[in-house]
Amino acid sequence: MAEMKRFECLRCDHRYMAEYDRKVTVERTCPSCGSNSVKLESKKPAKKPAGNTNTASAKG
Amino acid sequence: MMDVGRHPKIKTLVNSEVEEVSGFVGNFRARIRRNPRYVVAEDCTACDECARVCPVAVPDEYQQGFSSRKAIYLPFPQAVPSAYILDMENCLGSEPIACGRCAEVCEKKCIDFDDQGEVLEVPVGSIVVATGMKVYDPRMNDEYGYTRFDNVITSMEFERLICAGGPSAGHLVRPTDRRTPKRIGFVQCVGSRSATRGVPYCSNICCMNTVKQTLQIHEHYQDASTTVFYMDIRAFGKGFEDLYRRSRDNGTRYVRGLPGNVEEDPETRDLVVTVENTTTGKLEQHRLDMLVLAVGLEPHKGNGKKTVDEILNLSHTSDGFVLEAHPKLKPVDAPTRGIFFAGCVEAPKDVKDSVTQASAAAARALNLLGAGKVQVEAITAMLDTEQCIMCGVCTRVCPVNAITASNKKQKQFPSIIEAACAGCGTCAAECPTDTIAMRHFSDAQILAQVEAILAEDRMSKILTFACNWCSYAGGDMAGTSRLQYPPSVRLIRTMCSGRVDEKFIWHAFRLGAPLVLVSGCHFSDCHYIDAVTWTQKRVEKVWSRMEKLGIRPGRLQLEWISAAEGQKFARVMRELHEHLHRVTPAEVEETIRILEKQPPVPGRSKTAVAAATA
Repeated sequence: MAEMKRFECLRCDHRYMAEYDRKVTVERTCPSCGSNSVKLESKKPAKKPAGNTNTASAKG
Repeated sequence: MMDVGRHPKIKTLVNSEVEEVSGFVGNFRARIRRNPRYVVAEDCTACDECARVCPVAVPDEYQQGFSSRKAIYLPFPQAVPSAYILDMENCLGSEPIACGRCAEVCEKKCIDFDDQGEVLEVPVGSIVVATGMKVYDPRMNDEYGYTRFDNVITSMEFERLICAGGPSAGHLVRPTDRRTPKRIGFVQCVGSRSATRGVPYCSNICCMNTVKQTLQIHEHYQDASTTVFYMDIRAFGKGFEDLYRRSRDNGTRYVRGLPGNVEEDPETRDLVVTVENTTTGKLEQHRLDMLVLAVGLEPHKGNGKKTVDEILNLSHTSDGFVLEAHPKLKPVDAPTRGIFFAGCVEAPKDVKDSVTQASAAAARALNLLGAGKVQVEAITAMLDTEQCIMCGVCTRVCPVNAITASNKKQKQFPSIIEAACAGCGTCAAECPTDTIAMRHFSDAQILAQVEAILAEDRMSKILTFACNWCSYAGGDMAGTSRLQYPPSVRLIRTMCSGRVDEKFIWHAFRLGAPLVLVSGCHFSDCHYIDAVTWTQKRVEKVWSRMEKLGIRPGRLQLEWISAAEGQKFARVMRELHEHLHRVTPAEVEETIRILEKQPPVPGRSKTAVAAATA
């Protein structure tokens, strides 16, 4: 059963909602930059990334 | 078809469905259900006595419903075998026999009301899939008044009307008054080339079919006028342009624009078509006796419970047609060895192209059978039963069913059918105990490449795993197109992105890789059916694990690049080069420190790791 889930692009940090079905693997593309590095956003907050002081979100 | 029916070495199973296919190249086994015919085909002489006495009349599907047939009938005049068939859904004579007239008059005693059909198990060496196509149903969107006006018909219906063996014996009549139409219009691209109605692709045959039909009309009825409403005419084949020119010279008017509205005159039943002629920019109204919709083609997946894709484990492109092993080098081969395609199952095509492809498929199949043995590439999987924990993962992930199932209770290990193995390496990547090794793409070989790449100046390198067929070829395309991209990319070629083991990725991060890219074919292009889906699942798993360990998931990138996407390859590499500068040496050092405390594949079950390291 498909449900709406939040995805994040690991290339441009764009976040968006899209249909997600656990049983079906589909090719995902970021609507903003066209990258396929699209990750389902996890519910739990992640550990602070190790040693990174200059992440993609700090672009520009 | 008659030649096929008479050929001593061709066995034709009509009115049958393939239910299951198992085995591998040279050793397939097909389970075929022959549906009951209720007529002994071998004895039937097609004398028509049975049909003459049959009291039931139903619309004739072959004649597109323009005439009727009996409950016992010959499907069409050239049917092979030339024997009648009983349509039990409409027959009055079953349980108990209420009519039985056909059985009474049949001299040969061919009628068998108790026919149950049968299930056959047929061993076959190779398989040619030729399930054909079906036409778009214009009732879906009530386009151009098809459901409202009887004089709006499809190109298939028109084909029957003008055929000498058709319901009106080749005399073109319009359905409402059986008068010969004098003004006939054709609408192109009905159900084709539309993102919202029907299918997005061009159905290939409709333009030339319409051109042919306009010529047929003018040959038979010199006083008829024909108008074609079109987006653009695609007359690309040998002699097609000449045919198109002849159609224009014969007086067919080609109006560039599709009708916006179709109405019917209630008195005359004539059709009034409103269209914007995009060549002149003017709105035109055409009064027609008949309108023919050139309907598009859709893939036909069989009539059984399972589709042909499911039965033969075939992959298909986004438009639903089956995917060939290689569009240029193996255009009639399925990714699964020993299976070939012919006709519209692969893409919409005309008779000439279908015959060409069928000849090629037959030659490929014969080649295989004639050789008596199969030569396979040496890139196949090998299994070491000593480490195998019989988890069944390899059998489950194999896209070509080349691994037999294990059985823990009977201590039966899985085994690899080398003739069927396509060499994608998904089994080796998914095996939790590293029991499976790939010839020429072994773990040791790939890990050594990772180590060599990261031995020097690691902070300036993007470690990229590229699949042989698409991403690597995309890189080639970028090179041959002289596209510029940063020199930071370092490629490791694998046959499929499915071969990229988690272990390779973690090893790269452990050695200080700042950025790792896994790239493969688009899902619809995967040369190993669905192996690419396992790549995505695996990368998602690694992202999740990285997040838990406190490693930024963005350092592992995923990209689907086809062989034709040289520009995309160059663009992705430029983007990743920018991305590379955002990874600091401190971040890389911290990652190394985190991974020092982890097993080779973080998160992999302790049992599996223990078995692997034992």
